[in-house]
Amino acid sequence: MKFLPLIWRNLLRNKLRTALTCGAIGLAIALVCLLLTMPSGLDALLNRVASNTRVVVHNEAGLVYPLPYSYLQKIRTLPGVVGAASWTWYGGVFEVEKGVTFPNFAVEPEAVGVVWEDWGIDAKQLEDFRRYRNAAIVGRGTLRRQGWKLGDQITLKGTLYPVDLQFRIVAEVPNDRAPFLLFQREYLDQALRAAGRGGLDTLGIVYLRVDDPSRVGPLLGQIDSMFRNSEAQTASETEKSYFASFFSMLSAFVTIILIVTGLVALCIVFIAANTASMSVRERLGEIAVLKALGFGRRLIFATLVAEAVILAGLGGAFGALASLGFTALLHARATTWNSSLGPLGSFIVTETILVQGLFLALFIGMISGVVPALGAARRSVASTLREVF
Amino acid sequence: MLPLRYPLANLVARRTRTVLTVSVVALVVVATTLFGGLVSSLKRTFVASGSPRNLVVLRKGATNDGSSAVPLEAYQAVRFFDGVARDSTAQPLASAELVVQPFFHTPAGGRENVLVRGVEPVALAVHDEVKIVEGRMFQPSSGEVILGRGVAGRYVGAALGSKIHFGHGDWQVVGIFDAGSSSLESEVWADVRELGNDAKRSVPYSGVRLRVADGADIDALARRIEADPRWALEASRETDYYAKQAESANVFYVIVIGLALLAGIGAAFGATNTLYAAVQSRRAEIGTLRALGFSRAAILVSFLIESLAIALLGFAVGSLAGAVLGRVVSWWLGGIAFGSQTFSTNVVQLRVGATDLVFGFALALAIGLLGGLAPASRAARLRPVEALRKA
Repeated sequence: MKFLPLIWRNLLRNKLRTALTCGAIGLAIALVCLLLTMPSGLDALLNRVASNTRVVVHNEAGLVYPLPYSYLQKIRTLPGVVGAASWTWYGGVFEVEKGVTFPNFAVEPEAVGVVWEDWGIDAKQLEDFRRYRNAAIVGRGTLRRQGWKLGDQITLKGTLYPVDLQFRIVAEVPNDRAPFLLFQREYLDQALRAAGRGGLDTLGIVYLRVDDPSRVGPLLGQIDSMFRNSEAQTASETEKSYFASFFSMLSAFVTIILIVTGLVALCIVFIAANTASMSVRERLGEIAVLKALGFGRRLIFATLVAEAVILAGLGGAFGALASLGFTALLHARATTWNSSLGPLGSFIVTETILVQGLFLALFIGMISGVVPALGAARRSVASTLREVF
Repeated sequence: MLPLRYPLANLVARRTRTVLTVSVVALVVVATTLFGGLVSSLKRTFVASGSPRNLVVLRKGATNDGSSAVPLEAYQAVRFFDGVARDSTAQPLASAELVVQPFFHTPAGGRENVLVRGVEPVALAVHDEVKIVEGRMFQPSSGEVILGRGVAGRYVGAALGSKIHFGHGDWQVVGIFDAGSSSLESEVWADVRELGNDAKRSVPYSGVRLRVADGADIDALARRIEADPRWALEASRETDYYAKQAESANVFYVIVIGLALLAGIGAAFGATNTLYAAVQSRRAEIGTLRALGFSRAAILVSFLIESLAIALLGFAVGSLAGAVLGRVVSWWLGGIAFGSQTFSTNVVQLRVGATDLVFGFALALAIGLLGGLAPASRAARLRPVEALRKA
């Protein structure tokens, strides 16, 4: 411990170099920490948007394969199911040139309040949604982006169905998780009949809510076995695993991110090792004098390694904290800048990542310091002093 | 001017230091070219898709054929419009297509949405980049399919001669097709009527692809299709259609640029350190050179050349390693699967391309210049008398 001041003095000897090395290590550690948030950020994102009591039932063949509408009735009456709603893609576009800018689905208005209880839609607005045939619920982000307010009339052009629908916005989903527009299934059904296309006898997927999370597991199997020998087999899953399947195609991308993280970490080793070897080389004479005065090899070795570790540790702490601050800022501000940035708020540097980044820095400091320190400790005093003086 | 040999010989003199700094630059170049290559490979598969002589006809407002529906009558009318190319038997080169995205199962037990395109045999003449390389074209109404190269081998049963399960049944694989590394290679083709029955679609088609006759005006044809009051249709050049799909990759560029910036600044710090040390240990030399009459500019340029040489060496090593690593990763993962806008899987071969290399080169150059500037100017500002006295 009493050698700490010596180590500290050595670090301050070339302030510019120490600062630059610290900066380089800090940047690299910040980068590693940010990249490490990607896999767990996806998971956090899923946990934030998905409920553990909501279940999704879709066609086993794929999401674009419809299910018969009669399935909703059968699912709704199962024990443990509090409410169920069908969810059918309308594919309406507001401005034809831009395509579908927000997803829009036909649902049963009575079920919305129960199935998406956690969305916290105002009770009076829900009542209006049930009452008016052309009513629509719109997510807050979409409302803001389009500059709409409650009471506005809008028309969507159908891309999959040959009917255009006019809506009146009566309710808002007061959070950024739901960018959708939801409307009454009856409305689409009647419009199709009026256009001579027959009614709507299929549905996209079924969302249902279970009274107790522990009943979810058995219920999934029960639903799928109920429809095993029917015209369309179902695949039921929790809302979280359903959302996860949208991200699973990015798994290869995550692999590349991890490889790049490894490369950047290796980069820090080289930067730190370079600094360590430079500062040892410049101090060879001094080290020889210390040894001539009677300080042991081990001590010399230990102080030099400690110097590298402290330097890397400082840089690492600086970098890890910077990444923490950056993600905290994103978390707090992302949605106020632009609601489409909302998901970025889920990529948070957690305590685990902070500790991982710090330990990576310390470990790197150690391995980068060992080789030059070993060389300096081993060098013979006589030959060094002869060279220097 | 100092001879070029001087800065280069200095690199060799401090070998460890040079190797370490070169490695830092090389690693930064590897990381950015690899990441950039991933994104540009994805873009490339889209940009390589489609022909400038083809039109994509969809329902107005639909951004891709997965979210469009076109009735039979519309197809029947459009195919006989003036300007649609004909084959030798005077049949119009118009391909009515139905797109669905069923789940395909990977051997590991996962599932992916794959784009299955229901077509008629005329599709091979319209999409002339598609070539059957193994087996043959499917026979209509016989439960047969052909697979794109990216799909073959990726899923359970996805091989010539075996049965593959998707939708509501099992399908016999009778052919494998190549589509010049375009996104069509990640598709499966089946008979359009059979696919429609399997998916229980009430509207038979998603869209129509038209080949425009030689000499005909493609824009005039597109305008005529869009102006037809009977159906709300939209016609765009196939190349424009795929270019629009490629825009979905742009978000990833933000990550790549952020990564390159952070890592690049870090590497520039490392290079600065190395050169400051070089200036420090060569004070006497620099003093002597100045005393001999070499100008400040000559010293500055010499140190900048040293720094740039380190950066360019790093680029050379890094780009080579990046290209090799890209191929290895791509081979190891069996192609990299991306979910596209239509939620169907695109299997991409990771290749580091020319633009990624240019980007890496620019980054290395910036690292060399930024890292070299401060130490070089310190060297140039050394006063010869002081430098020599201290030495």
